Amino acid sequence: MSTADRARDALARLVDASATERVLISTAALVLSVLIGAVLVLVAGRMTTCTVGEAVYYFGTGFCYDPVVVFDRLFLGALGDPFSGGWSPNGQFAVTLRESTLLLFTGLSVALAFRAGIFNIGTQGQMVVGALATALGVLWASSLVSGALGTVVLIPFGLFVGAVFGGLYGAVPGLLKAYADANEVITTIMLNFIATGIALYLVSGVFKDPESAANQTVPLPEFAQFPALLFGAQQDFSIVALGFGLLAVVALYYVLEHTAFGYDVRTSGVQPEAAEYGGVDAKRTVVASLTLSGALGGIAGAMYVMMVLGTFQTGIPAYGFDGITVSILAGNNPLGVGVAALLFGVLKSGTTVVQFATDVPPQLVGVLRGLIILFVAMPEFFRLLARGLPGTGSKPEAVATDGGAAGDRGGEADE
Amino acid sequence: MPSAVHLDGITKRFPGVVANDDVDLEVERGTVHALLGENGAGKTTLMNVLYGLYEPTSGEVRLDGKTHAFGSPRDAIDAGIGMIHQHFMLVDPMTVTENITLGNEPRKWGGLAVDRAGSREAVVELADRYGFDVDPDARIEDVSVGEQQRVEILKALYRGADTLILDEPTAVLTPQEVGELFDVLDELTAQGKTIIFITHKLGEAMRAADEISVLRDGRKVGSVDADATTQAELAELMVGREVLLDVDHGTAETGGVVASVSDVAVDDDRGVRAVDGVSFEVRGGEVFGIAGVDGNGQSELVEAVTGLRTPDAGEIRFRGEDVTTASRRDRIDAGMAYVPEDRQDRGLVMEFDLVENGLLGSQHGTELAANGRIDWSKTRGHAQAIIDEYDVRPPDADTDAESLSGGNQQKFIVGREFERDPELVVASHPTRGVDVGSIEFIHERLLELRQQGVAILLVSSKLEEVQGLSDRLAVVYEGEFIDVVDPDETTEEELGLLMAGERPGDDGGGGGEPEPTGNADGTERGGLADRTDAAGGERA
Repeated sequence: MSTADRARDALARLVDASATERVLISTAALVLSVLIGAVLVLVAGRMTTCTVGEAVYYFGTGFCYDPVVVFDRLFLGALGDPFSGGWSPNGQFAVTLRESTLLLFTGLSVALAFRAGIFNIGTQGQMVVGALATALGVLWASSLVSGALGTVVLIPFGLFVGAVFGGLYGAVPGLLKAYADANEVITTIMLNFIATGIALYLVSGVFKDPESAANQTVPLPEFAQFPALLFGAQQDFSIVALGFGLLAVVALYYVLEHTAFGYDVRTSGVQPEAAEYGGVDAKRTVVASLTLSGALGGIAGAMYVMMVLGTFQTGIPAYGFDGITVSILAGNNPLGVGVAALLFGVLKSGTTVVQFATDVPPQLVGVLRGLIILFVAMPEFFRLLARGLPGTGSKPEAVATDGGAAGDRGGEADE
Repeated sequence: MPSAVHLDGITKRFPGVVANDDVDLEVERGTVHALLGENGAGKTTLMNVLYGLYEPTSGEVRLDGKTHAFGSPRDAIDAGIGMIHQHFMLVDPMTVTENITLGNEPRKWGGLAVDRAGSREAVVELADRYGFDVDPDARIEDVSVGEQQRVEILKALYRGADTLILDEPTAVLTPQEVGELFDVLDELTAQGKTIIFITHKLGEAMRAADEISVLRDGRKVGSVDADATTQAELAELMVGREVLLDVDHGTAETGGVVASVSDVAVDDDRGVRAVDGVSFEVRGGEVFGIAGVDGNGQSELVEAVTGLRTPDAGEIRFRGEDVTTASRRDRIDAGMAYVPEDRQDRGLVMEFDLVENGLLGSQHGTELAANGRIDWSKTRGHAQAIIDEYDVRPPDADTDAESLSGGNQQKFIVGREFERDPELVVASHPTRGVDVGSIEFIHERLLELRQQGVAILLVSSKLEEVQGLSDRLAVVYEGEFIDVVDPDETTEEELGLLMAGERPGDDGGGGGEPEPTGNADGTERGGLADRTDAAGGERA
């Protein structure tokens, strides 16, 4: 098959009915959540007081908060104001990409486990373990190499250490599930607490930076951190890290869709009995997918240490838990995780912009964010909506076969 | 008087497929009309049009001469149509009464509360009127499949149905329950109800229906009077050519022992001994059949042989190696093909399309997936070859397994397993739910494999299937082999007695509890290939 044919195939798959439908639904969700959010902003603006000069007027009524400004800041602010000439490579857009990069890895971590039918709630803990191991490993190794060579060696080394320790920490609930029949939801949640606790103990004790008041390790030398190429110098963002992230998206997609291991994982995820029949070793698959999932979480931790903090500090933000939302939003599809992580990054970074630019309370911005995610996460609602519209009476389940599936649906309609 | 149901020139197109092509169907009030056709002939699609699930591309639905355009099943129900699906739509923990009245309960206290006494009364009255044997207070999960089906029928009647559509109603029933169902249908038509039932079983169509319409490839190829036709005529209409209803199994050169089972004991999921000390061997070029009423340990024995269940005692050898505790993977790699009993849980990944399903079991170390990397274009070609060779409909490799009908799912699995180039084929109910034309094809392929020296272990609850195909036939009863016989030298009656647990030379001993299914309705052997699909777990 020639490259052109492949490209055409790929394009055909992208624009097939379900893909178009997904884009339409996402757009509708975004529009609807913004509209409802705007009403909330207006109502909240009526219930507070402000000077006449600060108020905006719609429909002849004064409001204290302007929804147009709020959403402008939330989205365009997060993108670094690309249309108003103020765009800078070191601006807010770099923050957005930084958040997105970290969410890419945690999102992929959760997605892989979910595809295997395993609810890995432990990405946060795997990230903490990976972060701590990376910080300690790189600190140790940075005494051996330095300068440009140090950067070239230490960054892959740090990612590797993060992946290994995150992976080992992910393997624990995997082994417990496979050989001791322990529910992974419980074990991964508990292992999150254990990871945080142990990290706090170590970093407030033996590995504490004596010159710092905070619970943190000695800072990594500059050459052991991700370099700020092209942009992001002041925002702790490195395009190199994003490059790794996009590579991970493609790699995970390839593994799931084009390898025997991925086939085993997906089969176990949707129908364990059929996987068993097809010769898939269930225990091995559970351990392997949780290990790999943990490794991705560990890499997120390594990124956080080597790109954002430059040290390990306790109290790592909840990227691991946000990764669950990102993954579910993306339908656990690695390619979708790319898009969902960007949306999430925009919302996270835009929130701070709104807080700087307006008087809108942060809680309200949180509500607006929640609304957007809520609507994007309920595609079925929009399918129902579309079905109810006149002129769209045809049913999407075009099944031209004799029996089964169509009949079952009929029965549901019957109730 | 206009017909109760008149489908006038119904055409239903789906993207790329014409499911129904200008079909006319007239059903008189108070009659039973059978809609006969192979898997994928368009029977269910046609009935879904009548039930309002699909809008026809062209054509009209007329009830008692009045034209209807149904937008949803709700409209069809309001017009007096009721449909009983193959897979029941009942809430298991709720009672019979609750299920029947669900959504339309009699109310009290100004509509605030369900009138339970009134509901029960209404159900009892309805059941009495049609002579149905149901317990209004029993929970659905506690009653038999036959009774669940009667509840489904009552549910439709409770909603005022005049015309009932039954989709493959006998697939899940035991022979006795089939008889009871046909009595129920007689009573319903006597009281003026109209019945349409979908089937691919010739004998049932002739037995229960007044008139039979045959669909083939979406077209109606004929309507015949049930009393004035023969099974051969129906089979020919259905398949489009003459069908050999009897198997001519000939003989093949028998080779060495391929698989042997010695003193194997297996427990079922509840820890109860299901197989107790069974020994046999299967040689290359031989079909070793196991006959028995379902639930006598066949499933557990097969799972032990294929590696899905570990035996508690005994030894299983395959090609000279001890495989008693070998993994499923090792057995597949060593050349063991397996058509599983449960196609929807085991045999297919329902969410996957047929391309992906064609890979199941071959995803490691085959030319479809060398070095851990899947070659999707080869895999697609492989799936398409199975689809073409085994006549899977619709012939589209991108179809999800769950949207195929049961028979077509089965054909795909059989194709995948037979084309594995196996040393041993373990076939559990290989033709369950499959139409008559495809049964013939599957049987031919099975015998071809035998001719090529493949060893075949065949388990089936269809007596004429195991008897017709096997070279040696074991009869299993309560986890033990009662006897191993030469199927050509044994009559169906003798086999029936063995299946009921009567040991050879045993005078009226072993408790004849499970009825011998083989001769349940006394039809001649070989007359009908799918007659005793008893107690089968067929689901769509």
